[in-house]
Amino acid sequence: MKRVKIRRLLSMGSVLMMLVPLALHAAEPEDIIKYRQNMMKAIGGHTGAAGAIIQGKVDYKNQLADHARALQTLTSDIPALFPKDSDFGDTKAKDGVWSNRAEFEKTAKDAKTRVAAFAKAVQGGNQQAIVASYKEMGEGCKSCHKDFRKKED
Amino acid sequence: MVTPSHAGVFLWLMVTAVPPLAADDVIRQGEYLFRAAGCANCHSDEKNKGAPLAGGRALETSFGTFYSPNITPDPETGIGRWSEADFVRAMREGLDDEGNHLYPAFPYTSYTQLTDADLHAIRIYLFNQKPVRQSNKQHELPWYLRSRALLRIWKILFFNPGPYQPQADHSAAWNRGAYLATAVAHCGECHTPRNFLGGFKQSQCFAGNPDGVDGAKVPNITPDKKTGIGKWSQGDLVEYLETGLMPDGDYAGDAMAEVIDNSTSHLTHDDRRAIAIYIKSLPAVEQAARKQKKEKNKKEEYL
Repeated sequence: MKRVKIRRLLSMGSVLMMLVPLALHAAEPEDIIKYRQNMMKAIGGHTGAAGAIIQGKVDYKNQLADHARALQTLTSDIPALFPKDSDFGDTKAKDGVWSNRAEFEKTAKDAKTRVAAFAKAVQGGNQQAIVASYKEMGEGCKSCHKDFRKKED
Repeated sequence: MVTPSHAGVFLWLMVTAVPPLAADDVIRQGEYLFRAAGCANCHSDEKNKGAPLAGGRALETSFGTFYSPNITPDPETGIGRWSEADFVRAMREGLDDEGNHLYPAFPYTSYTQLTDADLHAIRIYLFNQKPVRQSNKQHELPWYLRSRALLRIWKILFFNPGPYQPQADHSAAWNRGAYLATAVAHCGECHTPRNFLGGFKQSQCFAGNPDGVDGAKVPNITPDKKTGIGKWSQGDLVEYLETGLMPDGDYAGDAMAEVIDNSTSHLTHDDRRAIAIYIKSLPAVEQAARKQKKEKNKKEEYL
């Protein structure tokens, strides 16, 4: 009986011990930058895959809804990928992401709205609406990249 | 002897070969070229909400900061007093209305290849725009570059004036693409690397510029598989020029997004295709625009 309790305590303790460093250590800027680059790559991956389906280059129509859903999830909070102090290092983000935050958040929100419209169109199944909303979504991506992403550092 | 049938052929040739354009058509052609050439990109200070074509946009280069001039038809501060000959001379020879040499930040090195008809159309379009009174800003250049007389030597070394000569061994589409990419859209102004005097390294045409305008690293767009865009199909290129979508699902950003929004997305599909045909035909150059690690460590600056 007692033994079980100790064991439980121990295991709880070890779980807590593992959590402590996570909570106390703020994420390193480089890791945040890498994380958001991976997120952006994922977004690009789904965008490219969806595009190939929509343009009829490949025949994976059943997968289109998955890509749309993934895009919606991945773009749900883009500004959160750009926290304060993640503005230096190996990033292509322009200073405006932080110095012109209101405009950046507006642009990101606009992109998110366009992704949602695309996802809705995919659900609706009307090919014309899908093509149009996909294009609109691309405009959203491009407009943010235009103002807030440098060609290279 | 001119028979009626000969006369008919002549008439037919006159009508189909080079139909004289009506005034509205000239303006429309001028607008199309004006967009394709991206004039507004540099001559409008969009970021600071400047009036269209009134100039004032800063171009940071490794030679100093240039400010684009006012090209609205305002007679005092713009080019309203320029004659057609003045305009053609500026575009083709890089001289202003008083005969001063212009800095090649203004890409006359490319525009020199424009045909007479196209130069005329662009001028007509420009002179139909709203005049804006806004004085030009002085360029910020190091002392040794302030003398425009030096540009005379530069031109002898690096400038080949004259309109585009079609190449008979290539298709009409290829020639159209070459004309659009080199003379009109002046892709090479950013995508071709320059030597230390700012002249093009002709052997590395379109192979990217690690030290581009505004500190950008401009990519290699020759068909090299490793360092260029050799993996892009012709269709990929057409799509990119229309929407900015890259084959990997990424979207264009920064200066190229501007070019797509203001220029290439407004071209006809055939013209985008022609550009793609031309770009795909370029000799592949293996050159990775080296990544320059500019330390932008703000944190440490303040420590």
